[in-house]
Amino acid sequence: MKSLYSAFSLLFLLSVLLFSSCVDEVTNTYTYQTMVPIYLEMSDVRARIISTEPAQPLDNPGKIYIYEDYLFINEPTKGIHILNNADPSNPINLSFIPIAGNVDMAVNGKILYADNYVDLLAFDLSNINDIKLVKRVEDVFKHMYRHETGEIITFRDTVITTDSPTWERGDMFLMNSSKSYSANYSAAAQSYGTGGSMARFTLANSHLYAVDETTMRVFDVENPAEPTFVKPIDLGWGIETIFPFEDKLFIGSNIGMHIYDASTPSSPTRMAVYEHVQACDPVVVNSDYAFVTLRDGTSCWNGANQLQVIDIKDLYQPTLVKSYPMLNPHGLGLAGDFLYLTEGNHGLKSFNVSDVMNIDQNQLEFLTSEKSVDLIPGPNSLIVIGPDGVCQFDYSNPSKLKKLSCIQVKNPVKFY
Amino acid sequence: MIAQKTKLLLLGFLLCSATSMAQEKLYFGQTEIGFLYGRGAEQWDGNHERRIDISFMTFNGVHITKSQVVGFTIGLDQYDDISIIPFALGWRGFLGKESKPKIFGGFDIGGGSAILEKKESNEWSKSWYEGGLMYSPSVGISFPALKGNSSFSFSLAYKRQNITYFQGSLLQSGSPTIASDLLPPGFSSMNENNYIYRSFVARVGLMF
Repeated sequence: MKSLYSAFSLLFLLSVLLFSSCVDEVTNTYTYQTMVPIYLEMSDVRARIISTEPAQPLDNPGKIYIYEDYLFINEPTKGIHILNNADPSNPINLSFIPIAGNVDMAVNGKILYADNYVDLLAFDLSNINDIKLVKRVEDVFKHMYRHETGEIITFRDTVITTDSPTWERGDMFLMNSSKSYSANYSAAAQSYGTGGSMARFTLANSHLYAVDETTMRVFDVENPAEPTFVKPIDLGWGIETIFPFEDKLFIGSNIGMHIYDASTPSSPTRMAVYEHVQACDPVVVNSDYAFVTLRDGTSCWNGANQLQVIDIKDLYQPTLVKSYPMLNPHGLGLAGDFLYLTEGNHGLKSFNVSDVMNIDQNQLEFLTSEKSVDLIPGPNSLIVIGPDGVCQFDYSNPSKLKKLSCIQVKNPVKFY
Repeated sequence: MIAQKTKLLLLGFLLCSATSMAQEKLYFGQTEIGFLYGRGAEQWDGNHERRIDISFMTFNGVHITKSQVVGFTIGLDQYDDISIIPFALGWRGFLGKESKPKIFGGFDIGGGSAILEKKESNEWSKSWYEGGLMYSPSVGISFPALKGNSSFSFSLAYKRQNITYFQGSLLQSGSPTIASDLLPPGFSSMNENNYIYRSFVARVGLMF
């Protein structure tokens, strides 16, 4: 009798289930990386006191600058790490200067310049253990202002989950991480970043040149501690890198290379624009030739993977000498007759470029295990920036690189 | 995998314990085929689409008492264009006399496997199905066949099946990895559609 009772209760349960809820349920969640806008009052940013902090681990290194025996490594939008590199086989992380919105820097004498959103800061480096802010030039990178209220807009990477139904989400395919902010400024992209509104700095002839996506801003730094804004120069779109050589400025954009005459430092004038297919393209230069890499990638869809050699003996008439196929060339560096070229995930290459017509036959080394995106031929070592960290090589014998040290990063960048 | 092993062990244990009992017939099998009926989720216009699909199941078990069987269920259910292999632990209980029509009730609980669904993947994205929780209470009537121990069965059941469809975009060049538990590593976005299919099931088959 008891089992009969339980069978009927089961039947009852079934009928309840049957008639109440025989409707399917669909729930949807969409999780994505994106950047969220953050509005900042410059007055708040300026009120923050900037002083040297204890060393912090490298998270996502951006631009690297060599100053005497020190390495300054930018943490995009966060600040600058200071490392003692007296012994390249054992760099020591000394301290960190927190500078919000910072993406680039340059050193002139004992003065370090760094951008702080719309302002340019000057720091006194005479005591490396106590770096002091000595000057703030306000409102120079004005393009960041949202409107004339002193409010700026910046973006923070984040991961968001939504559960609104698909049809309410027409814009979901637009929100992708390649637009992500730090993607544009991380090591993998820093010297040829995918555009953005931040400055890229270079110093030449007592002037500081800062380029953003469309404009070059000129500062007079004759008196290093007193940088004064001279003027902006309109460049056109897609500006990525700036490379000074003698009294010329070579500006890489994603449509080509601009050559500017900076013999009048306060007022550079355009000499020529060498145009090529749209690609991401760092530039290095010696007295006769410019070496440009073109690669395809996130923001450079039309790109080819090439190393181009451009004759610049006549700066008004740059001409392509030869192009060499590469795998996925990123940043490059020139040390005398030796060209070092990063091939992204494929490794690191070195060439003797004394004969520009036969560079491919003069490849010295191809270190396939050294994933790399940019490099700097420094006085004591070749500094190579890769997805996993910052490595240094002894390149006193250019045809045989010797690894000295590697600084690991906390948050390796994924790239192709 | 561990869950599978546990189930096998349990089944083995039941087999052993059951053999010690003096039963006339130890093994019990039930194989049925039928239809799943359901109403789709509410659409944007407030309507529901009717869903009728095929369902197949086979239950293999052992008597633990004269009128109760426990065992393992496996089958094949179609939900629109998604094929799911349900696998579950099951119980069957009978009311009625030998050689007469009997009422039976059952309960199955387990999961569904989306192994038959193709995983798609290319340079930019990956998509795949994953099965989830399944449970199914059922009632039915069995009619003894003219000869032998088998009987014809007719059963009605409710079946709840969870299925998740994942569509992920892969991180592309130069993208940062933002430390987060919300996204699996290597993905820049993940679209997750979680379906709960609630179906009414009518099946006919054989018990032996």
